[in-house]
Amino acid sequence: MRGPENEQKYLEFIFQYIHTRIGSLSREQFDLFRPYFKFRRFEKKEIILDQGEIEDNLNVVVEGLVRKFVVTGKNDVTLQLATEGHIIQSEISFHTRSPSPVKLETIEPTVLVSLTYESVQTLLANIPIAESLGRALITQMFIKKDSRYFNQIGKSTREKFLDYVNNHPHMLQRVPQKILASYLNIKPETFSRLKHLIRNQK
Amino acid sequence: MVSRIKEYIGRFLTLTPEEWNTLAETFEVRTCDKKVKLLEIGEVENYIHFVVKGLARKYFYKEGEEIITQLAKEGELISSSVSFLSSQASGYVVETIEPTTFISISKAQIESFYKLDQRWEKLGRLIITELFLEKERWELERICFSTRERFVRFVSGNYDLFQRVPQKYLASYLNIKPETFSRLKHLLQKKTSSNIA
Repeated sequence: MRGPENEQKYLEFIFQYIHTRIGSLSREQFDLFRPYFKFRRFEKKEIILDQGEIEDNLNVVVEGLVRKFVVTGKNDVTLQLATEGHIIQSEISFHTRSPSPVKLETIEPTVLVSLTYESVQTLLANIPIAESLGRALITQMFIKKDSRYFNQIGKSTREKFLDYVNNHPHMLQRVPQKILASYLNIKPETFSRLKHLIRNQK
Repeated sequence: MVSRIKEYIGRFLTLTPEEWNTLAETFEVRTCDKKVKLLEIGEVENYIHFVVKGLARKYFYKEGEEIITQLAKEGELISSSVSFLSSQASGYVVETIEPTTFISISKAQIESFYKLDQRWEKLGRLIITELFLEKERWELERICFSTRERFVRFVSGNYDLFQRVPQKYLASYLNIKPETFSRLKHLLQKKTSSNIA
């Protein structure tokens, strides 16, 4: 998994991702971005960013699974679960250059393709297409965030659970139940009960 | 009237006088009475509104109950932003609380600005980033603080809104049960009067 051929594969993944999901981009344009990408590898349960540190990276998960969470009282609250093709970072810290209120930790062994804050600024200043890609990207992040918030407070516990499980069936296998329950803001006991419900349905 | 919006934009980008004039030509100024809906659920949002004077809110319905997700006062933007950005039907209502004057810019205008010059794309990116960060901060606020802490933090940071916004709206916005909200308010008043005495 560590060879340069994999880096080639990850870069191709990033190109396809930008081209199909964010905004059209030629291979020549993408080549201008290439020197700025860093590959970062983590074991499972490794801290990528701790609370209080300054986030210096915009990360795309190309392999693995990462969670973003806050430690509050005795419980962790998970804000985001990011799998292949998802962007994950401490946005507040990255954009305001202030200590991060959240932590990032891997759940599985993970490879991230990252751009540093400085690289992002350089790209925005020097590559004409970067500005519109940047705008398209933050727009998508905004829409995603709003829809998560809408689901969190607008749906019943049961609806939230069923929607999530139906749309992300693989996540039940990949993510510890306690973490999924905290991500969906459902009590662990309730989560177990709901899980039995879907088993019985099948 | 335009000084506030000039100041708002200045937080993100310093416009040249020409740029400013081009932008100002697209402003649509309108004044609404209180409790006027600017957008209903199911409609597509075509505007971003900047509050010049007054107060507006954004909400959706959960089992018939209004859930307020934003309060916008002077110097702030309000829009059913996801509908605006995605052109999908709005899940939210945008409505005035007080008689309100807005400066509104249409989506078509903004799109034509993006094609004109990259500086406008930059402005768009920076404003959307700021709106994103506001959402993130609000989500963390709900997670990291107790009901009581949220109440105290809101009142100390937004005493003007505490006085201007009807109590049931504030309770909904802060996700506090109306009974609990009254109790906390009582507590606060007792504390304030004992401080004065």
